[in-house]
Amino acid sequence: MIQFEQVTKKYPNGQIALEDVDLTIEDGEFLFVVGPSGAGKSTLLKLITRETSPTSGQILFNSQSISRIPGGKIPQLRRKIGTVFQDFKLLLNRTVFENVAVPLEVLGKKDSEIEKEVSAVLEKVDLLEKASSFPAQLSGGEVQRTAIARAIVAKPEVLLADEPTGDLDPKTAREVVHVLEKINDEDKNIIVMATHNVQIVNHFKKRVIVLEKGKIIKDEKEGKYETD
Amino acid sequence: MRQIKSTLKLLRRSPYQALAAALAMSLTFFIASIFVILIIGGQLVLNYIEQRPQVIAFFKDDVSEAKINEIASSIKSTGLAREVKYVSKEEALAIYRERNKDDPLLLESVSADFLPASIDISVKKAADIDQITKIVKGHTEVERVITPENLVEQLVKWTKTIRLGAVIFVSTLASVSFLIIIMVIGMRIAIRRDEVSIMNLVGATRWYISRPFFIEGALYGIIGASIAVILVYAALLFYSPNIQEFLGPIQVFPINPLFFVYLWAGEALIAALVGIIGAAIALFRYLKIR
Repeated sequence: MIQFEQVTKKYPNGQIALEDVDLTIEDGEFLFVVGPSGAGKSTLLKLITRETSPTSGQILFNSQSISRIPGGKIPQLRRKIGTVFQDFKLLLNRTVFENVAVPLEVLGKKDSEIEKEVSAVLEKVDLLEKASSFPAQLSGGEVQRTAIARAIVAKPEVLLADEPTGDLDPKTAREVVHVLEKINDEDKNIIVMATHNVQIVNHFKKRVIVLEKGKIIKDEKEGKYETD
Repeated sequence: MRQIKSTLKLLRRSPYQALAAALAMSLTFFIASIFVILIIGGQLVLNYIEQRPQVIAFFKDDVSEAKINEIASSIKSTGLAREVKYVSKEEALAIYRERNKDDPLLLESVSADFLPASIDISVKKAADIDQITKIVKGHTEVERVITPENLVEQLVKWTKTIRLGAVIFVSTLASVSFLIIIMVIGMRIAIRRDEVSIMNLVGATRWYISRPFFIEGALYGIIGASIAVILVYAALLFYSPNIQEFLGPIQVFPINPLFFVYLWAGEALIAALVGIIGAAIALFRYLKIR
């Protein structure tokens, strides 16, 4: 479970990214965080991974305050969290298999374990036959599924997706979110997806939180995203 | 092991920076090796001279053997001499005959009476030759003293100059190598920033992210030192006849192969440390992770 308690994030330039945010995300929940650019969606995700710290308030992950974790223990927190980015952040000089293997190498797993676990996860995202391809040889959807595979290979408790469909066409975007939904159903992990893709949000009927100017203005169970 | 393999792969992918860093290191340690050999060579020459009689005192004809022995004992008691050897007139004749055995003309008219008795003095330290010469000359029975004082003085002076040169030269070159390592590793960090940021986000520790750069720094040092020692070995092999001719009776060849093993081990260790410290500074300066 992730809890935001009165969280405010103010950047040194004075910009308020989040203001008095109270939010609870239950285990196994799939959550869309929506809102226009600059609403604070990315900041919310960065606070969970401790890429940044709140100015005030606290964020609890399994009842432990994320902002109180000492610097040396941050890697342990991040091993419980998988992240998918809009720009994929894949290593272009590594194959699909090698990219997906990175989190397992970091965990110090043996080559035989890596082989087994990476193959299993590639099968899950339907990319096994592309294992030895390089990112440049893949379609947009395949690249994003590679990024998802890398994010889930170490079996994280939380999967954060920051605009994962931003650069994809509507059909591919829907496929990618289907993959995320399947992972959520099978692994029962928390999935937090930041997006401003109206069609996707409205199609999948998940919990929706709408952020505007750093504040939660709407939080609905099977919500919709309505723009002006 | 996986990280060593991946470091080697990275070196192969951008070989020019790696080559620049390794060559800078090899130049530094090549010069350092030359200085080490010059210093050891200088010491060998000094040792050779110290083991020979450096001061020979010839006595007047009327000085008795007992008096000469008494003077010899007094010199020995100063503690500066390693050995004081009495050479009688007869022994001097025998030496003379041996040295000139191929020239009968020089042997014909010479008898023991023509040659003076002497004492051959070997000092403990070459630096004490001056002092012992003064003591010997203080005895009125001594007619003449032969001493290679200028040669030894020059040698000691040269050895000191070489040591000073080594410190200045090698530390300057080592600083340059150090800066090149910092620059090359800094460039590597910049090139790999995407990888570093991904590693950071998937939970890699700072040490895990930094380790390949430390390995890389150490590798530059070890490769550089190895090239340097191979070059020095080849140069010594090639120039050994000339060096031996220059040194004359002082035998330095063949050099024990263990010397090169120790030289390599010592230099590789120091070079690896230079590489690691260079990498540490580059990481401190350029690796920005949260």
